Amino acid sequence: MSGRLLNIGLFVVLVAMALASLLAGRVWLPPADVIAALSAPDDTLAGLIVSELRLPRLILAVAVGASLGLSGAVLQGLLRNPLAEAGLLGVSTGAALGAVIAIYYGLTAHFALATPLLGLVGGFIAAALAFALSRSGGTLALILAGAAVSSVAGAGLALALNLAPNPYAAFEITTWLLGSLSDRTWDHVWLGLPFMAVGCGMLFLIGPSLDALALGEAQAESLGVNLKRVRLTALAGTAMAVGAATAVTGAVGFIGLVAPHLVRPFVGYRPGRVLVPSALLGAVLLLAADVTSRLISYNTEIKLGVITSIIGAPFFLFLVLSMRRRAP
Amino acid sequence: MRALGLSLIAAGVIAGAAELAAGPSLPPHDAAAARPPSHPLRVMSLNQCADQIVLALLPPERITSVTWLNRDPLTSRMVAEAERVGVNHGQAEEVLAQRPDLVVTGVYTTGALKVMLRRLGIPVYEAQTPESFPAIRAVTRALAEVLDAKDAAEPLIAAMDARLAAAARNPTHLRVAAWDGGGYAPGVGTLYHEILVAAGAVNVAAEDGVSQFAEFDAEAVIETAPDVLVQGVDRADAPGLRRQAERHPLARSYYADRTVTVPQWAYVCGTPYSAEAVTVLAEAFAEMKGKGLDTPPFAWR
Repeated sequence: MSGRLLNIGLFVVLVAMALASLLAGRVWLPPADVIAALSAPDDTLAGLIVSELRLPRLILAVAVGASLGLSGAVLQGLLRNPLAEAGLLGVSTGAALGAVIAIYYGLTAHFALATPLLGLVGGFIAAALAFALSRSGGTLALILAGAAVSSVAGAGLALALNLAPNPYAAFEITTWLLGSLSDRTWDHVWLGLPFMAVGCGMLFLIGPSLDALALGEAQAESLGVNLKRVRLTALAGTAMAVGAATAVTGAVGFIGLVAPHLVRPFVGYRPGRVLVPSALLGAVLLLAADVTSRLISYNTEIKLGVITSIIGAPFFLFLVLSMRRRAP
Repeated sequence: MRALGLSLIAAGVIAGAAELAAGPSLPPHDAAAARPPSHPLRVMSLNQCADQIVLALLPPERITSVTWLNRDPLTSRMVAEAERVGVNHGQAEEVLAQRPDLVVTGVYTTGALKVMLRRLGIPVYEAQTPESFPAIRAVTRALAEVLDAKDAAEPLIAAMDARLAAAARNPTHLRVAAWDGGGYAPGVGTLYHEILVAAGAVNVAAEDGVSQFAEFDAEAVIETAPDVLVQGVDRADAPGLRRQAERHPLARSYYADRTVTVPQWAYVCGTPYSAEAVTVLAEAFAEMKGKGLDTPPFAWR
């Protein structure tokens, strides 16, 4: 299958999933009502559910999934490591820490942008630390530095949980960290989407350099790739896209790790060509997880991050095992 | 869910502390549970909800300490009373230091602390957690019996029953949901539900099949289309995700003038004072009905 065919196929699946996500949920809406609600939003049951609840949720699911899938593909290509994703570099944990601090220590009460902004700041600080700590070393140094930064941010999260002003706040931090798109509104879309768009734009820009990098760092530099700038763009784009995504939904794992692996065989294992299908597949997977969380929810919502981990982890294990079998 | 979260966390704190405090030098093992004194004079309560009934039943000089949670006006009706007595954090070390002649625990005080109190030979009474008004009556009377404070219990229960009877006289049958945007609502089996019903309302979450505290998101609110939303009152300075959700566009545009507040302490812990919330709510519901807000803000109901 060629890359273009794959992209078209994934796009069609994404559109189908998007339509399904508008129909499905607690209240099943007939397609005609959804179309009517989309063309002329009104105060009917379907109109309100589609325009105020499911549409912002759909847009966020697509943007967050694409951000996670794309950043995973870029980082796996950049670091030439199949385990790389935003979480490995500490960006997700850093963003979660920033957002938790914003939410629970009162900053949101003063101005609404505080959560995504502090999430971004947290993501940026984590990425900058990982970058600074590994400047002299190579790829492996960046991964190790990222793991260290991630642990530190994780410790910070534990401390924030520990110092939560009351037990309710602690309970809410815990559930927020599980990741969810439930009851997200247009406010969340307007806060998160611009950052995710700019971050994804930066990540797409470095696609061509990734192909050169597949040959090795020295070879890439001899081909005119400014390694330092590529690395900086990748980290900044990841911090922006994944930072905003985490700030809006909470921590959602495994999408960034799994999506690139799934599409890689179809594009001839070329890192630069993994980006678009990986972003599309990330969006499809997150949307599917969100619809699943709506459908299987009984009494207590199964959080998005829980679904992606429960399905993602065994799948990842299967992937690793089958890759080992196929390896020469 | 909030109350549940609180209790679970508090229980964890208490159990964890007890484990830490279980040092090596315990007094000789005493297998027999100690008998409570007939007229305890140094009562120590280790459960936030039992605390409030103990504070209501006993004069301060007979209370050694209650938990620190009762100095928080968010979840305690008895802040002033709690400040007149000592404080504890549910730790075994504090029990040793304060030498009570009766320790009142709750159902969440499990494991290590209870075992240790028994080994130390300190009399323990485990108070139940009431989730309905009949249960509040029973729990209050049972505690009064153990504390030898029966004379104090009956006026409290009589006041509670008077409030319940007054609220039952003119029920509004308003359809309400207790929704503060956290994605959960109380249903059958919770004290919060009992309070709403006692205040003359119909809890749409319970009608919808919610039992205990369960998932009830914005979509559920739209579909069930309650006439009025009930919100637990937070302190103004306690931020959290709920405050974000309070500004959910739906609540903003459809329920801005259809929201009634109730103090959180009324449903976090079942005490005879929970009936005060019934009075407050019944009056607020009657006012809503008077304003003609007894139909949903949406057309499909």
